[in-house]
Amino acid sequence: MSVAERYDIEAVRRQYIGTEIPQARGRYPVEHDAIRRHCHMVDDNNPLFLDPEYAKATEHGAVLCPPSGWLALYFASLGPWPAVFEPVLPIVPTPGKRIVNMSQEVEWSARIKAGDHLSVRRRVADIFQKGISIDREAVWIVAEAIITNQRGETVCAIRNTLLTHRTPEEVAAAAEEATA
Amino acid sequence: MASHEARYGVRKAQIHWEDVEAGAELAGFELEIKPRRVFLQVSGSQDWYPVHHDPAFARKAGHEDVFMNTGFLQAALVRVVTDWMGDAGFLRKLSFEMRRQQRPGDTMVCRGRVTDRYRKDGEGWVELDVWAENEREGVTTPGKAWVVLPSRG
Repeated sequence: MSVAERYDIEAVRRQYIGTEIPQARGRYPVEHDAIRRHCHMVDDNNPLFLDPEYAKATEHGAVLCPPSGWLALYFASLGPWPAVFEPVLPIVPTPGKRIVNMSQEVEWSARIKAGDHLSVRRRVADIFQKGISIDREAVWIVAEAIITNQRGETVCAIRNTLLTHRTPEEVAAAAEEATA
Repeated sequence: MASHEARYGVRKAQIHWEDVEAGAELAGFELEIKPRRVFLQVSGSQDWYPVHHDPAFARKAGHEDVFMNTGFLQAALVRVVTDWMGDAGFLRKLSFEMRRQQRPGDTMVCRGRVTDRYRKDGEGWVELDVWAENEREGVTTPGKAWVVLPSRG
């Protein structure tokens, strides 16, 4: 029996859509050096993100975290090391374990400052099957995350769509198994 | 010791909502995707998923090569907006899609354009198209941003 035949998308949808992942708190507060590394990767020299003296003199009074949902999620849940990515993925069974992030939407309610301490609540919003060129059984997972600060205020809401697929070798092996 | 300007560049004057017109282009920037940039990507995003730094792993998954990750692309689109909106601007919403890839050998061009401006709930809102593109595939990462800018007076 092939992987595709064993995989019951409707059963997975029934079981996992709406699953909530308990709130997690970042290991460390929002840190200057992680912000610096984040800015460095795209040559972002904005002193509001990098220079405490400059930022202190602005209306914000402190270094801001660039408004990236990725960086907010990093501070809220992942911590610097060991890195553990997409904790949503392992709880949703999928035929393939390769992942590609397809889209993200981030809505901001408040700015994040260096020294804030973030937390995140996650929820599986949707799961569906839609084939791609290399895998007709690819599974898509939509996850939502709400990030809050140390005062319990929501700073942003993230909606992320992730594609999971098999490798071409795995697809070929499954096809061979199905015809054997 | 480097001066503040040498290190961070000259800060441009704060842009105000009244100064913005639909169709205006954001300056944006270009980044060459070389091995050093790939390593900076891993450092800056802390995304250790090998498809973004290990060519053999990427090829086994059916990709031609490693490709830049979501954290990197988002940081680039955010920079397009934050470079333009100034210290007092507030990015309220950003959405973007990873339709095609930025890979080693590409020059990633990041740009933006004002599409609308209006007042809502007493605030001055501006809507923008933002995107990353390269010569090989055209627009790879289309996005939209919603920004609140300060008003004059």
